[in-house]
Amino acid sequence: MSQHPQHTRVMLVDDTPARAAMLEQALVDCGFEVVCRMASAQGLMKQVAEHQPDVVIVDIESPDRDMLEHMTVLNQHLPKPVIMFAEQGDSNTIDRAIRAGVSAYVVDGLNPDRVRSIVDVAVARFREFQALRNELQQTRTRLADRQVIEKAKALLIQHRQMDEDEAYHAMRKLAMDRSQRLVDVANDIVSVLGLLAPKTQRTRDQ
Amino acid sequence: MKTDLTLGYMPLTDSLPLLAARELGLFREQGLHVTLKEEVSWANIRDKVIVGQFDGAQMLAPMVLASTLGLGGLHKSLIAPYSLNLGGNGITLAKSLFRDLEGMTRGRPGAASLKQLIHQRRLEKRPPLVLAVVFPYSSHNLLLRYWLASVGIDPDRDVDTVVLPPSQMVDHLRLGHIHGFCAGEPWNAVASAHGIGCCVATGRDIWQNAPNKVVGMTEDWARDNPESLDALLRALHQAGVWLDRHRDQAVALLAEHLPVERRVLAPALLGHNDYRPEAGDALEPDLLVFHRYLANFPWVSHGYWFLNQMARWGWLPPEKDLSAVAAACYRPDLYRRALADTPLPEQDWKGEGVHAGNWWLATNQGEIEMGADTFVDGEKWELRSMNFLHQSAPR
Repeated sequence: MSQHPQHTRVMLVDDTPARAAMLEQALVDCGFEVVCRMASAQGLMKQVAEHQPDVVIVDIESPDRDMLEHMTVLNQHLPKPVIMFAEQGDSNTIDRAIRAGVSAYVVDGLNPDRVRSIVDVAVARFREFQALRNELQQTRTRLADRQVIEKAKALLIQHRQMDEDEAYHAMRKLAMDRSQRLVDVANDIVSVLGLLAPKTQRTRDQ
Repeated sequence: MKTDLTLGYMPLTDSLPLLAARELGLFREQGLHVTLKEEVSWANIRDKVIVGQFDGAQMLAPMVLASTLGLGGLHKSLIAPYSLNLGGNGITLAKSLFRDLEGMTRGRPGAASLKQLIHQRRLEKRPPLVLAVVFPYSSHNLLLRYWLASVGIDPDRDVDTVVLPPSQMVDHLRLGHIHGFCAGEPWNAVASAHGIGCCVATGRDIWQNAPNKVVGMTEDWARDNPESLDALLRALHQAGVWLDRHRDQAVALLAEHLPVERRVLAPALLGHNDYRPEAGDALEPDLLVFHRYLANFPWVSHGYWFLNQMARWGWLPPEKDLSAVAAACYRPDLYRRALADTPLPEQDWKGEGVHAGNWWLATNQGEIEMGADTFVDGEKWELRSMNFLHQSAPR
């Protein structure tokens, strides 16, 4: 096959649009052509027949993967047989791809170097996206933690007639004594003191 | 010995041996600490086993053979040292289609009336029926094709086959994207309970006590971790014994792991065959077998039959020695090693399709009861006649 990178046609199946957009941009930057981007494999066979991609990149958590596997036994119906990775795909690339959550289906006979570079780009983007997601998750957790700590502090102030500083230090000390995280102590306080709160007040809070 | 194991599974009724072994502490008793990972596709299970993310997994028997042959994915020698269950599949057709079939036949609709309907649709220039299976290399696909071909329906030309995840079968059937499917439980029962589909054939109607899922792993892993493998098989074996004796509890256990109502889990596990109203209240305990009939023994003849069917449909390179591939993937030697104190048969092969009713098999611990193993078309696979493409293809 005589192909320049720009003639390698790539199709993306990913139900995370932000990640798919990132990956598309990265592939285009590397000179590959992204012929189709789908959120789910609904109508997948039709799209494959229409766009005739050389490579299909699929999120490994997509339940639609098995649909693509079907193409390997359907080759009499489809213009091109598609196999996962290359027949001689090096196990290192495959291993990294699967661990990063990328699966790839490749037209038989496609240049292995080209396959590797597309898979590498996908792996890098998937990892980057996961890192972003983790960061966001951490930020959210921190925010939620802070809310719980504030609530525990407020309950201590209300029930134990402490001032804000005393309440905070009491929690800190308890956390250190029990070698627990501050947020775990705060959670305990909220669940215990929350029960003790007068009923009328609780209904009013809601 | 490697004691921390990660096993993959698909949430289906026949993942129960894994769930029960964990729940009952059977892995722990064998010195194993097992993490079960629920997966979304069979392809993931295969790939994660191959790259070593999973030590082993619940697998489709033909998938183990396909990977070893390098079909449709990564080329790696996988083995099946243990069979998880017999039976448990069914073919469900959309209710309207089933009603049409009922109108065309006097008895209960089956493959023959479906053939007539396909012929009629072709005359009316209507598009072919679309039938779904869970994976190309699956007992589901091979049983469906066998059933269709038993009346002369060509599964490649007369119908369109698609692959869908088992949990999406019923939705696609309701939306009219497919006309029917062959899948494991509880999905046939779900379609029936919601009035979306009717089961036209259970696995038993196609091949009685047909092999279904296996525990699969790479050949390398099994070689490098013999003690872990033995411990794993012993734990699963005990789970199988428990499951066949505690079906009510099995329903409750499964209900915790599958996002469906409990009433649809009961039919396969308790043997209520709602699909066969003429049977009345008679139970069919063999709809799904976890242990009895030596259900867990990996008969090489089972692997051979799957390979033979794969060859029949043109999926295998013609020069393959099927007996050799079957014996390389199906590993009764490992089963015998791990479960040396349980009844073991004298041979690794048995005749398939030759026992119309229950029969007695000689083992090192006396005779044990075995289930029937006949095929819908009455085909017999005697031991001495198991040759490549023994069966004549329908085209």
